[in-house]
Amino acid sequence: MRKAAKRTRRFLRRFWRGFREWCGDAAYESYLRSKVHHAGSCRTLSQAEFYVDQLNRRYSRPNRCC
Amino acid sequence: MKRAFSFVVWLAVALLGAGALGAIAIHRGEPLNAMWFVIAALCCYLVAFRLYSAFVAAKVLALDDTRATPAERHDDGRDFVPTNKWVLFGHHFAAIAGPGPLVGPTLAAQFGYLPGTLWLIVGAAFGGCVQDFVILFCSIRRDGKSLGQMAREEVSRRGGIIAQLAVLAIIIILLGVIALVVVNALRASPWATFTISMTLPIALLLGVYLRFLRPGKVVEASVIGLAFVLFVVVAGRWVAESPSWAHVFTLGGVSLAIAIIIYGYIASVLPVWLLLAPRDYLIAFIKAGAIFSLAAGILFVRPDVLMPPLTRFVDGTGPVFAGKIFPFCFITIACGAISGFHSLISSGTTPKMILRESQARFIGYGAMLLESFVGVMAMVAACAMTPGVYFAINSPAGIVGHTAEAAATTISSWGYHIDAQTMTQLAQSVGEQTLLNRTGGAPSLAVGMAQIFSSTIGGGRLLGIWYHFAIMFEALFVLTVLDAGTRVGRFMIHEMGGRLWKPLARTNWLPAVLICSAVIVGSWGYFLYQGVIDPLGGINSLWPLFGIANQLLAAVALVVATTILMKMGRLRWLWVTVIPMLALIIITMTSSYQKILSPNPRIGFLSGANDLAAQIAGGIVPAARIAETHRLMFNLRLDAVVTSILVVMILLLIVEALVQWYGILSRRHEAVLHESPYIATRWAPDFSGAGHGTVVGDAVGDD
Repeated sequence: MRKAAKRTRRFLRRFWRGFREWCGDAAYESYLRSKVHHAGSCRTLSQAEFYVDQLNRRYSRPNRCC
Repeated sequence: MKRAFSFVVWLAVALLGAGALGAIAIHRGEPLNAMWFVIAALCCYLVAFRLYSAFVAAKVLALDDTRATPAERHDDGRDFVPTNKWVLFGHHFAAIAGPGPLVGPTLAAQFGYLPGTLWLIVGAAFGGCVQDFVILFCSIRRDGKSLGQMAREEVSRRGGIIAQLAVLAIIIILLGVIALVVVNALRASPWATFTISMTLPIALLLGVYLRFLRPGKVVEASVIGLAFVLFVVVAGRWVAESPSWAHVFTLGGVSLAIAIIIYGYIASVLPVWLLLAPRDYLIAFIKAGAIFSLAAGILFVRPDVLMPPLTRFVDGTGPVFAGKIFPFCFITIACGAISGFHSLISSGTTPKMILRESQARFIGYGAMLLESFVGVMAMVAACAMTPGVYFAINSPAGIVGHTAEAAATTISSWGYHIDAQTMTQLAQSVGEQTLLNRTGGAPSLAVGMAQIFSSTIGGGRLLGIWYHFAIMFEALFVLTVLDAGTRVGRFMIHEMGGRLWKPLARTNWLPAVLICSAVIVGSWGYFLYQGVIDPLGGINSLWPLFGIANQLLAAVALVVATTILMKMGRLRWLWVTVIPMLALIIITMTSSYQKILSPNPRIGFLSGANDLAAQIAGGIVPAARIAETHRLMFNLRLDAVVTSILVVMILLLIVEALVQWYGILSRRHEAVLHESPYIATRWAPDFSGAGHGTVVGDAVGDD
């Protein structure tokens, strides 16, 4: 029983994490974890700067289909 | 033992699928239950994924999981982001699933349920999925390069320019056509027009929230936006019932077209965070919810399919659009079976985020199967309607007349009985003034969806709410593609214009932004205007034009894929891309020829223009309408020129590719493959994405 509850909790946690990644909520966290950030090769963007930068990149190439 | 069990299970799935397909194909007489469609589609998809995609992955592409993908090599947290395969599947599907697989099958239902359903399943399994999968693989091996860049490097420099022009052409035609779908959905509908208008201030509000108040907090902003949107769907009824407000929001075709053109221009000029992105976040949730609800509703209600397997309109005399079942059924279904536009997504964001080559099979092939399933659901929703109602909604006034009585008489004479009262009552029950002549597919799909939803929740009382929820979903869906597509088109104009005058290439210089936005919006706006003033409803000429452009782009993608496979030495398996490529070339060339040169004025652009000229010469056209008729003639000739240009472009690319193929096969020149060099992955076999508790280079599993 406890094992099932643990599995359910783990599943829900993973689902929530995946959901946040899918909809872009966790994009800044991914950016902070990225190699470039760790390498310190360029200035780390603030969350607001990253948000605008990410949108400008996403909407400058085909990202929605017919 | 395990192997034998697996064999038995897959044999059972295959037999079940074959049985269901057989039932759909052979059944005559009594209405067929929609469950047969669901079973046939799901079983075929499972078998195709299990066998055919595995064959393509192992033998044709020889996917290599020891090779580092672009996401690992260039991980920058911005473009190149290692992403869990389920999350990436969601991203990829959200990007490829547009209004096409909903509208196309709805329009193709005029031939009956059989041809469209078969093409959706077979075309996807052997064409669309293969294209998406192979192009994704090719792009992964080339650091996420775009289709145009791959065409330039692997086929020829001219090939790259042709691919780029083809993309721009398809974007312009696509945007014009889908904008027409929205206009026809909102025409003379104060409820729907109010609801869609209100999504603008909601999106602006969310834009400010996400930019200044809670940067990047997409989930909470979307939940707030969703609550507002659901409220305005309900509030639309109060507006429609108030004579003064209803008057304000009751707009004709031309007014709506102008409003959408202005909207497109503003969305292209404004910063992306203010309008475009928040609208996209809003629709992401609504889209997922509506598609899931439609599938669940069909499974729950299990409606009977009332449309016959084949209608009398297979002979090319259809009222929704003219043309015989071959090639026009294939052109009309478009994205639900194979879409050239998908190759832009498969060579865009997805290859930069994928963890392993083997995941290209699940994401590239699998997501397209799901899109095809959405198309089958749309086909079921359209065919579950009484055929008379379907034709009354989707036929233009030029064919069935303006009044319910005239439409009922004409449609009943085709053998699909309907009386005028049925249409009047249906319009009242969904809160519309009329549902007659609402071409474009969106209103009939909304009626089909509303009937399925209301059979699950709320009954007839909520039919109006469900109908307008479906219209809101379709219109918002289309407008998101419209503003995102306009922006991408604007960037392409910047790039091309910059070659003529350098300052035009600056995407952040206001005069350049204003000029390039005007060029792209003016281009698709003209097609939209042309569709709105067309007495045959616009869809008759524009949807096939869009289908041709889209399928030609798919042919371009398959030509590039074939060239790459040839250079890789996979000559034995070339048929995997060559067969769908040849099928598409035959379909698009036949339909282009017919659209340009058919002597039938409803099919051929030139004969249509000549017919109008003869009417003017014969004194049939009243003096007051002569100027308008001249405009129609110009539009038809313009469509003929556009189709010809598309055909010439693809023929040039094929000649370029043939020269290249001859050179490789005859060993006149070396097959130079422009792949990125092999670098072994440092990721552990169980690595499932940067956000999933694992560290690059460490064998740390999920928590």
